[in-house]
Amino acid sequence: MNIDQFNILSVGVGGQGVIRVTQILASAALLDNYHVRTAETHGMAQRGGSVSGYLRFGELVDGPLIPAGFADIIMALEPLEAVRNIKYAGKKSIIFLNDKRILPLSIYQSKKIVYPDFDEILANLKKITNNVFFIKATDLAEKAGNAKTSNVIMLGVLIGSGILPLSKENLEISIFNNIPAKAKEINKIAFKLGIEEGKRIRSELN
Amino acid sequence: MSDIPVIAQNKPGKKLIMLGNEAIARGILEAGVIIAAAYPGTPSSEIMPALAKCVPYHPELRVEWSVNEKVAFEIAHAGSMSNVRSIAVMKHVGLNVASDAFMTACYHGVRGGLVVISADDPSQFSSQNEQDNRYYGLHAIAPVFEPSTAQEAKDMLKYAFQFSEENNSVVIFRTTTRLNHGRADVEFGKILKLDRTPEFDWDRHRWTCVPSSTRPQRTEILLRMKKMKEKADDFPFNELTISEEKINGKRYGFIATGIAHAHMIDALNFHGIKDKVSILKLGLVNPLPQKLIKKLMTSVDELLVVEELEPIFEEQCKAFAYDWSLGDKVRIHGKDFLPQQGEFKPETLITQFAKFVGIDYTPPESTTLDIIVPPRLPQMCPACSHRNIYWIMKQFSKKHKMKFVNNSDIGCYSLGVYKPLEMVDTMLCMGGSIGMANGFAKTMPDDILVTAFLGDSTFFHSGVAPLINAVYNRNNMLIIISDNSFTSMTGGQDNPSNGITLTKEQGTKILIENVVKGCGVPEENIWVHEAYDMEGLKEKFEQAVKAKGVRVIIPRHMCSLQEMRLVKKNKIKLPIIKVDHDVCIGCQTCVRQFGCPAINFDYEIRKASIDQEQCRGCKTCIYICPSNAFYVVKE
Repeated sequence: MNIDQFNILSVGVGGQGVIRVTQILASAALLDNYHVRTAETHGMAQRGGSVSGYLRFGELVDGPLIPAGFADIIMALEPLEAVRNIKYAGKKSIIFLNDKRILPLSIYQSKKIVYPDFDEILANLKKITNNVFFIKATDLAEKAGNAKTSNVIMLGVLIGSGILPLSKENLEISIFNNIPAKAKEINKIAFKLGIEEGKRIRSELN
Repeated sequence: MSDIPVIAQNKPGKKLIMLGNEAIARGILEAGVIIAAAYPGTPSSEIMPALAKCVPYHPELRVEWSVNEKVAFEIAHAGSMSNVRSIAVMKHVGLNVASDAFMTACYHGVRGGLVVISADDPSQFSSQNEQDNRYYGLHAIAPVFEPSTAQEAKDMLKYAFQFSEENNSVVIFRTTTRLNHGRADVEFGKILKLDRTPEFDWDRHRWTCVPSSTRPQRTEILLRMKKMKEKADDFPFNELTISEEKINGKRYGFIATGIAHAHMIDALNFHGIKDKVSILKLGLVNPLPQKLIKKLMTSVDELLVVEELEPIFEEQCKAFAYDWSLGDKVRIHGKDFLPQQGEFKPETLITQFAKFVGIDYTPPESTTLDIIVPPRLPQMCPACSHRNIYWIMKQFSKKHKMKFVNNSDIGCYSLGVYKPLEMVDTMLCMGGSIGMANGFAKTMPDDILVTAFLGDSTFFHSGVAPLINAVYNRNNMLIIISDNSFTSMTGGQDNPSNGITLTKEQGTKILIENVVKGCGVPEENIWVHEAYDMEGLKEKFEQAVKAKGVRVIIPRHMCSLQEMRLVKKNKIKLPIIKVDHDVCIGCQTCVRQFGCPAINFDYEIRKASIDQEQCRGCKTCIYICPSNAFYVVKE
């Protein structure tokens, strides 16, 4: 496919696998013969803090960072982190949120700091773009047989929704290259469930 | 062949996605380097483990985690003196530690190519400052290379050794976080095999630093830099593109290096003006290529220097323009358009370039949120042993109304500065905790307890000398060396405390208490204790506070992240901890004061609970809970 650039921002909490999903998408993009750039949070930010993975691929891609307002996809493995990174969203962005909350410890330090309701998160993100979707990734992952496959569910959703300009086959190869061999079957199921969920969303995209 | 890790394979032309740091490791391998030494530090930490993977297949490589950057550099310098290609790898502040050796080594010059990697951290993602180490090139009169992509990092590094040997000069190889920690497509080159046996030349006039040696070397180093300046225009990674086109009647030019160059190209493409402006891309950032710069200056009306952090090129370019009487022909800009603090954000360049060339551009609207996003700061992990000793210190301070001046250090325990512990009063640099405690021992009254808090790796790095200072001068203090056997903050590297080397072989394990004893702390002033045994640890801490002189407590428990790896590998069953909701009184001590990430609190039922996915079964919550609501589930 000949595109100038495609920008994906993956966000979440240290330990959730943000770097891994960024790496999987990057390898898939290379298999599809794109120029690829990523930037990732390592080091101190991984100690349970907010983590971002920037991925850019296409003909006109030199730097690894996404300009504010120009993420094509924001994939939040934790919903609050999408709101934290709202500056990257623009009118055309599509936002997917794994509906699993991870409470930040800061909510215990002041009564004024509370974890917002999902409705409030949705309303705030929708100020920027209509395309905001909560994914029951953990439920689906449990259906696949292991809650830990929730990131693969999310990757399946990206493909199923039809908005990710990467081939399904190469993304699958890239997923399998990045997981232990014994987990292959279960992830295959998870990927499929994610794709079905993505297809369901396809009709709601505008 | 398939068993050999990809990075170690001699397959020129192979293309793959690599982390910048892996590409750098590959560059070291391709250059035919023999000696590589480093101390881990973000954003450089992944370079050595990637290189270590190559050692079994390239046994001529000799790699190590050194105890600090100065030692790492000295090892590389000796490697160069032994006529083999050598490298020292560190983060930007690591070069400060190594600088004593580095500054004079530059006088000596090289035999085998000698490169020092300085991984800078604009925006301070994981660093105490954002110093710009390009200055070290000007300071030490040494050439500085800076790549702008992972591919270039690999290729340029390979060239850096050749350049070092041709110019008899140490080369600084500067990278920044977004290059180190970004992935990109990389194509492999050939692995050089330089058939050189390490040998020394016993040239004492050259390799010693008595003034009679280094005074004439100062003359030589100036001469070498003069020669490098003359050749800077032919540097293969500098690239000048001149455009005759004008935008709104004016010709525009840009100078950039490193990751800033990549962002700059993106921003120019964004406005569709990349081919309408002249661009000088610098790979050699010290010395600057003067002919290329002159050509650029005489080809444009307005010049923008796009450099992150300090205005190093900008100031030199302005001086050149003065020397060349171009001051009224070209206007040179830099920090008047672009920030001097933090990494460049693409949106900043897009907006500022529009202003610079006079294009109308409205950035996308930003939204005001009507919710507050709770901060999510980094924190100590569940079951982290540092939290335990901090807790004991804090409770003691409260109970006895005793004030502390707690000098902390660089490591995971730095996070004790944040809520809920807030136990860190000062923090400066590696080993600075004991150093500063020496000072506070002289200034604080007796009723204030002066403490120093550091980890095992930091103690070995820079803590020993200030400990000797404390003992020698009788600067009384209580030192906590929280030993978790790993260099944890940078990703769990091995160190003398566990005795495993970079290549995962058995080195010599060094017991901290033996070092402390050797430094002159009397045996009765040393307490070593299991960090998960809170009762016992508290008792030891109280004894230590009461004792006089220099006292050292060593709470010891393996880094919980590393321990979890063993638990997984050996399928060990962890104790399951739960909260008895009939006993929990909802006081929130566990979440508000202790702050283990595995403990949640439900405000509707006002009870604590354990997140079983995160809990690592250390049982410390059982100790800290005032109402004994936490318990171990019986099998």
